[in-house]
Amino acid sequence: MKIVLGSDQDGLVLKDKIKSYLRELGYESLDKTEFGGEDFLESTKLVANEIMEDEEMVGVLFDGYGVGSFIAANKIKGMIAAEVSDERSAKMTRDHNHTKIITIGSKIVGEELAKSCVKAFVQSKYSGGRHQIRVDMLNKML
Amino acid sequence: MKISLGCDHIVTDIKIRISDYLKEKGHTVLDMGTYDFTRTHYPIYGRKVAEAVASGKADRGIVVCGTGVGITVAANKVPGSRAVLARDTTTATYAVEELNANIIGLGGKITGEHLIYSIIDGFLEAKYRSTPENEAILKKLNAREEEVYCQMSDQGLFDEFLVKWNNGEYQD
Repeated sequence: MKIVLGSDQDGLVLKDKIKSYLRELGYESLDKTEFGGEDFLESTKLVANEIMEDEEMVGVLFDGYGVGSFIAANKIKGMIAAEVSDERSAKMTRDHNHTKIITIGSKIVGEELAKSCVKAFVQSKYSGGRHQIRVDMLNKML
Repeated sequence: MKISLGCDHIVTDIKIRISDYLKEKGHTVLDMGTYDFTRTHYPIYGRKVAEAVASGKADRGIVVCGTGVGITVAANKVPGSRAVLARDTTTATYAVEELNANIIGLGGKITGEHLIYSIIDGFLEAKYRSTPENEAILKKLNAREEEVYCQMSDQGLFDEFLVKWNNGEYQD
């Protein structure tokens, strides 16, 4: 599994910290915005385009509050993104919602919590079954 | 304010408490369901709430499911919606002031009742600040939606999946 990272200027520092952390954990990552995107729309688009068709990739987006990237990502057809600030949601959303991207607000979530959320997300797995009807519905929408 | 409110079957009791809280504050509530604990699917209610907001039937929307993620994603997949998922009041306030968010999503099994009320207060009290920077971002965000096929009047959008569900084709 490859983890695709992106950020705007607000999320740049936290993104770089998570990039090092993922390396320590032994994950392969791909940084789409080495110097931070122009805005969260740009970083969202770059990460979403990379992972859209690839089941083996997930994304993590960083901005100021997590909200901008969350809205922008979910406005892309076929994309399911979760804004997270706790580990439980980070784990559950991949398991239940088949989430491809989590978004984290660097002004809201501290470094340790961000690491812990990313770890919970990448170690989780989609369970399908009854959850798939909801995912089918989301994918039928915008 | 007129507020459209929706949830899935995991948090119907919390939705009713929120409804009462809003009414006590003088708001009008449009409860879009679900109304009991019978298993159903969060996209149905996220979509209903967001369509009420996007069409102008409601001023703002509130959606709740277990983590808040699923129903808030569904709400965002309606053109004209801007739905924020919040576990703190700061995020809710930011989303309205800078991104003109019109729907808030809450994790009924993640966030406690008192914090939920505080987040809702922050969301309803905040006002959008129209600056050139915010307008430019929203314009870019909306440009994407204009390309989207209009799904809003399609009542049978989810029918094919519900038929499969009733036939037992989604098994754990």
